[in-house]
Amino acid sequence: MSTSLSLLQDILMREHALPRERVVPEAELAALGVDSLGLMELVFQVEERFGIRIREDPPTDLRTVGDVARYVDGLIDARPVAGVSPPAERGGSRPAP
Amino acid sequence: MTDARRVVVTGVGVLSPLGASAIESFQNAVGGRSAIRRLDAPWAARLEEPVGAPTACEPREAGPPSRLRMMDRSVRLGLDAVLQALTDARFDPTGADPARCGAFVGTALGGAGTTDEGYEAVYGQRSDRVRPHSVLAAMNHALAAWIGIDHAFAGPNLTFSTACSSAAVAIGEAARRIRGGDADVMLAGGAEAPLVFGVMRAWEALRAVARMDALDPSRSCRPFARDRSGLVLGEGAAFVLLEELGHARARGAPLRVELAGYGLANDRVHITRPSAEGQAAAMRAALADAGLEAREIGYVNAHGTATTQNDPVETEAIKRVFGADARRLPVSSTKAVHGHLLGAGGALEFVLSILALEQGVIPPTMHLEEPDPACDLDYVPGRARDGVSIEAVMSNAFAFGGSNATLIARRLVARRS
Repeated sequence: MSTSLSLLQDILMREHALPRERVVPEAELAALGVDSLGLMELVFQVEERFGIRIREDPPTDLRTVGDVARYVDGLIDARPVAGVSPPAERGGSRPAP
Repeated sequence: MTDARRVVVTGVGVLSPLGASAIESFQNAVGGRSAIRRLDAPWAARLEEPVGAPTACEPREAGPPSRLRMMDRSVRLGLDAVLQALTDARFDPTGADPARCGAFVGTALGGAGTTDEGYEAVYGQRSDRVRPHSVLAAMNHALAAWIGIDHAFAGPNLTFSTACSSAAVAIGEAARRIRGGDADVMLAGGAEAPLVFGVMRAWEALRAVARMDALDPSRSCRPFARDRSGLVLGEGAAFVLLEELGHARARGAPLRVELAGYGLANDRVHITRPSAEGQAAAMRAALADAGLEAREIGYVNAHGTATTQNDPVETEAIKRVFGADARRLPVSSTKAVHGHLLGAGGALEFVLSILALEQGVIPPTMHLEEPDPACDLDYVPGRARDGVSIEAVMSNAFAFGGSNATLIARRLVARRS
């Protein structure tokens, strides 16, 4: 099971006032009203939650909620320390070395 | 107005310290019910004078968090007032040519709260985490842009920033666009949300803000009074829908009043100290624009900030313009009860002036028990005056930098030849 999927779904439901049944892995971001600005906010909140920094622009071929979840999971797995860090403090912090 | 195209106000909208609508704000101004109060936010404890005038209610939601996150508080306040103005005017955008509809907005500080928040994060918290939409929320013309997006207003879309006269300038310039034939419909007004620590502390540093009345904070702003001590910052938004008279008539719009005159003048003297001649020049220019004599003005909503500098200078300016008639002219400053909305103030006070004209009721200057000897006009102290027959009203909005603007509204009458 994806690490980030349910978090992404929660963020999308809250930010875009969407019902859960619409925010499924195969749902297209555009159909949910998530444009490039919405994706930036999504990335920001993911960074906060997982204590990661996404320095590159997200790939342009992220079309669905599932695509984003796989992308974020890859970033989490690539961190030097395995697992998921606790939610970042206010103001954020860099991932533990 | 001397040219063929006349400008009428067909709708008004207000979200102010005094109320969630124009009429509620007016009724509270008339009742002298001050919205100025001690601020209870945690950061306010760090202010020397923790007093301000927050809006009577929160701006009504205009979408999901993903949308609101892109908007500074000033934008959300503004969009609330805009929607009210369109509703009041019974304006149906589907029946209008978008290219002939524009929006002019006044704001002194734009997204100051967003900027303040970003600074708090990067300097206060020493974080490098700045919200991704900070630029979009902080940019000064965001409100005008959102009006265009939300209401399909594709015509002239500009933002004016002349400090405390910003909204009056936006309204006056919008009227000129209609008169000049560039547009038939203009949303015009202003929005301001300055009740954040960084902004309020900066105003304190300028020593322009009032000492908080220890016994009754709601009485802290006392225009024209001997014991006045400065302005009180307020937040809010006000908008008018302006239309070319023929356009408004053709769609059966409510014809509220005519925006008859607009005058601009710069003091060219000092960055803060006002000039009676500069202020008088703006009033004279507005009268000339309206084709009215000074004696035809039945009420002046003064800039009346309650600062040491402004009130006697504005009094002198009014005397220069109105001559012997100045003594019988009702002049009031409603800032005593709604505070100084900076770049939105000119719009709020213009709307209050319009309602005074329509209802024949002049709102009072509150907390004026003993006038400054240099302030010797009829300031309608303490109690509203009703049953007054008014032909035309004047609203003054003066600003740091000497940017003076005056608006005149009058009853809609057949044009004199």
